[in-house]
Amino acid sequence: MAVVDLTNLNLPGTAGAISPRRRRGRSVASQVGRGIAILVPILVISSFITYSLGALSNSNPAATILGQDAATPAAVAHLDKVLGLDKPLVVQYWDWLTQAFQGHLGTSYFTGIPVSQSIAQRLPVDLSIAILAVILAVLIGGTAGTIAAVRRGGLFDRGVTMVCSAVSTLPAFVVGIILVVIFAVTWHLLPANGYVGPTGGIWPWLEHIILPSLALALQVAADIARQLRTSLVSVLEQNYITGARVRGLPYRRILLRHALRNAAGPALVILGNDFPLMLAGAVAAEVVFSLPGLGQLLLEAAQSRDIPVAQGVLLVVSAFVIVVNLVVNTLLNVLYRTGDGIVS
Amino acid sequence: MSKRTSIFGPRSVLRLPSAKIAVVILAAVIFLAIFGSALAPQNPLTINANALFQGPSAQHLLGTDYLGRDVLSRLMAGTRLSVFTAFEAVAIGFVLGGPLGIATVFLGKWFDFAANRVFDALMTLPSIFFAVAATAALGNGLVQAMLPIGILFSPYFFRITRAATLEFARAQYVEAAELLGASKLHVIRVHVVRKVLPTMAVTTAGLVAGALLTVSFLTFLGIGVQPPAPTWGGVLSSELDYLSNAPWAPLIPGALIAITVGACNALADALRDRTSAGTFAPVIDPVIKTHSTLQALEVANERQSAA
Amino acid sequence: MNGNPPPDQVLGLEDLHVTVHHGAATAVSGVTLSVHTGEIVGMVGESGSGKTLTCRAALGELPAGCAVSQGTISFETNNVTDLSRRGWERLHGTGIGAVFQDPSSYLNPSLSVGSQLTEVLRVKQRLPRREAHRKAIELFTVVGLRQPERVFHQVPAELSGGMLQRVMIAIAISCGPRLLIADEATTALDVTIQAEIIELLRDLRDQRGLAVLFVSHDLAVIRELCDRVVVFYAGEVVESGPVEEIIERPRHPYTQALLQVASVGDFSRRELRVIPGQPPQVGAHISGCRFAERCPAAIDACRAAAIDLVRLGPRHQSRCVRANDPELADVLETELAAR
Repeated sequence: MAVVDLTNLNLPGTAGAISPRRRRGRSVASQVGRGIAILVPILVISSFITYSLGALSNSNPAATILGQDAATPAAVAHLDKVLGLDKPLVVQYWDWLTQAFQGHLGTSYFTGIPVSQSIAQRLPVDLSIAILAVILAVLIGGTAGTIAAVRRGGLFDRGVTMVCSAVSTLPAFVVGIILVVIFAVTWHLLPANGYVGPTGGIWPWLEHIILPSLALALQVAADIARQLRTSLVSVLEQNYITGARVRGLPYRRILLRHALRNAAGPALVILGNDFPLMLAGAVAAEVVFSLPGLGQLLLEAAQSRDIPVAQGVLLVVSAFVIVVNLVVNTLLNVLYRTGDGIVS
Repeated sequence: MSKRTSIFGPRSVLRLPSAKIAVVILAAVIFLAIFGSALAPQNPLTINANALFQGPSAQHLLGTDYLGRDVLSRLMAGTRLSVFTAFEAVAIGFVLGGPLGIATVFLGKWFDFAANRVFDALMTLPSIFFAVAATAALGNGLVQAMLPIGILFSPYFFRITRAATLEFARAQYVEAAELLGASKLHVIRVHVVRKVLPTMAVTTAGLVAGALLTVSFLTFLGIGVQPPAPTWGGVLSSELDYLSNAPWAPLIPGALIAITVGACNALADALRDRTSAGTFAPVIDPVIKTHSTLQALEVANERQSAA
Repeated sequence: MNGNPPPDQVLGLEDLHVTVHHGAATAVSGVTLSVHTGEIVGMVGESGSGKTLTCRAALGELPAGCAVSQGTISFETNNVTDLSRRGWERLHGTGIGAVFQDPSSYLNPSLSVGSQLTEVLRVKQRLPRREAHRKAIELFTVVGLRQPERVFHQVPAELSGGMLQRVMIAIAISCGPRLLIADEATTALDVTIQAEIIELLRDLRDQRGLAVLFVSHDLAVIRELCDRVVVFYAGEVVESGPVEEIIERPRHPYTQALLQVASVGDFSRRELRVIPGQPPQVGAHISGCRFAERCPAAIDACRAAAIDLVRLGPRHQSRCVRANDPELADVLETELAAR
């Protein structure tokens, strides 16, 4: 059941072995380091793919910027040189990437606004929704899955299973629409669109983000609940739960500290894997709820063929996904301390 | 090898009620994809200013939209574009990933390493963002948008063919079978039919479901829609603007999408349950860490459902 | 202990019946036994003889579908037969401790063994963290773990079976229970480790007056460790009494057969011996003695009616109509030699 890889166990009596506590502390740090070391090439490759999208484009950026009239061949050639577009692709890519690490993601072809500025402006919207969505997904999915497992076979369990199957097939944007229909249009409980930052007041901020977050969270919550239920049922049958019981530990403690701790792993993996789905859902949520986020930015860029913006957004988003992956792996390592702390 | 009956095998899949329903639904959808435009009761493009936002009626079985167009006809006509582009994406993924997966086993360690890293990277890219970003470069068309989706699907096929080839290359049963007198070709054939094809089928069904969802999503976002041509997602998004007039309207295309996707997933599940399909035991490459959690999870779930 | 007032009874099972499969069959019928302070009582029998179910019942840990249908269980002076979940929670650890056959599976694989011990100390005895750590090291030393500080931080996967069993014992006795239930505690260990664990249990008995209920199918271990032994067959107690008496002179054909098979006592191993036949199915209705079918000394009276326990001494009983028959031993020896 466990998603652990018991390699390199430090067997007792090994001569010269380091004391376990120090070794484990080191291994978490080295684990993170190792994770980063692996993810860097992946980030490089995915950013290269991102960048080369621009190269695939059949439109000439210089011509687009200059506009139809001014795009004489000489002017285009000149602008190409200025923009560095005449250099080989790999060099261009490298320039772009190094600039990106310093926070400069280029300038929009159309608005002239630096891409990083546009992104920075819109990022809080997506972050608010994403973070709240993760919290909601974990709370709802975790609670539902736990109760379903503990009262296995009961009414709640069967209800949850059915609901999960139904919700799983519903894409986030459909859920979002349903939510809007119910809560905003029919009942006028919550606003149907728009965004207010936390600076405009905590309550209005929450009011505006709760529906979109919920739309994103429900699908993931369903996946989490299902996985958690399965894992928890299997964990509760294990001998060490009996062992904990005969030591006289209170039931709630056993559930939380022993059972959930070991059962949460696969659910956590699901969360990590569903995170990109959540991001995609965020784009849908932005459309449904008219939120000024990165998704909208990207859509506009797509319509106007504004390549730097598109590249910038894609880079930021995929970096985000990679970071989340890293965090999930680290969390798994913390949860499942094996001899050498390696979780594959 | 004797033919196995009952428990395993493609025919037994159809015994599951969920699989039967799924196949029926999918057959209907494919039928619509091919013949939808011809069979639609009304012209999906006809605007009728006198019949806006009508509920279901004899003339308009699913009502009309904000321009008075018949919803049912629009959905039926839109099926083709959605379904074909979904298959396009999966096909691209298969063509890009499959052969490479086989080749990588024979082309040396460095190639394998590089290929694995590239496909890992592809798996980290969020699909919708990638597709939309790609249209910024490639132009606004559904075909162009599904190309990057296809690229993003290729890692799945890559992994299957690679694992299958590796297992086959290393498996002892090959030698054993040869010793027993079976020809190499026979063993390959059995291996492919028994294990690889079902796994492919499961993955394909799952990916088709994902592709359909993605297509609906993209058309919902306005990518690839050349109005007034109808698509499932396009119908959904246009109804969104007029929610106050017809709050129930989005449910119809939503339900259509959900049912079709659900059918694909149900078929994938049935295939997984009833055949010897499954992810191959991940060839533990000590360097791949990012996505082996997914692999390990799949293996663990496999064991759990088998247990 | 002669001349002292009789020690207190720690565990008493009175006419215990346990049903399985939601009442479909009775797996344990009419078991009566007791354990006193400072006494080590062994329960021996084949797999499926009901000994495990009996000790689970005494622990309040019957598996799903099983229930006590009749009889009483008492711990010290309290009747715990129908104890609530909360009641057992209070009793476990502080009154009764338990160790099982496969120690690695009874410990949380992802926590260090030390933290699992301190957890019990902090929760059950409200010890502060530092104090709990200190006491844990002390307990680890008592159970014979060398390098207790180092073991503290290790996870179960890093420790050998013998060490893990010591850890389990440490945890089980940490809150000072009066009774320790050991269900096949030494079965999975190799012989040298077995001897050490047995020694440990004896020390605990001597130093703390710990009462132990020791379940095993290994007669040799039982002989080493236990003061009294209870022999199980097909869900019933067929003989019980002081261990030396029983081994020297068994008064039930099954006990005798067991001893012969295990080559314990007088019988030296000359060839591999088995008891021909199979124990009856759980819940099978048998009139008369349940061993009669396989018994070489069976007579008509054996099959006539249910057999009661025959008292053979102050604490020795046997469920055999021929228990007092002086020729019983000879009959069995001849019969078995003849086969």
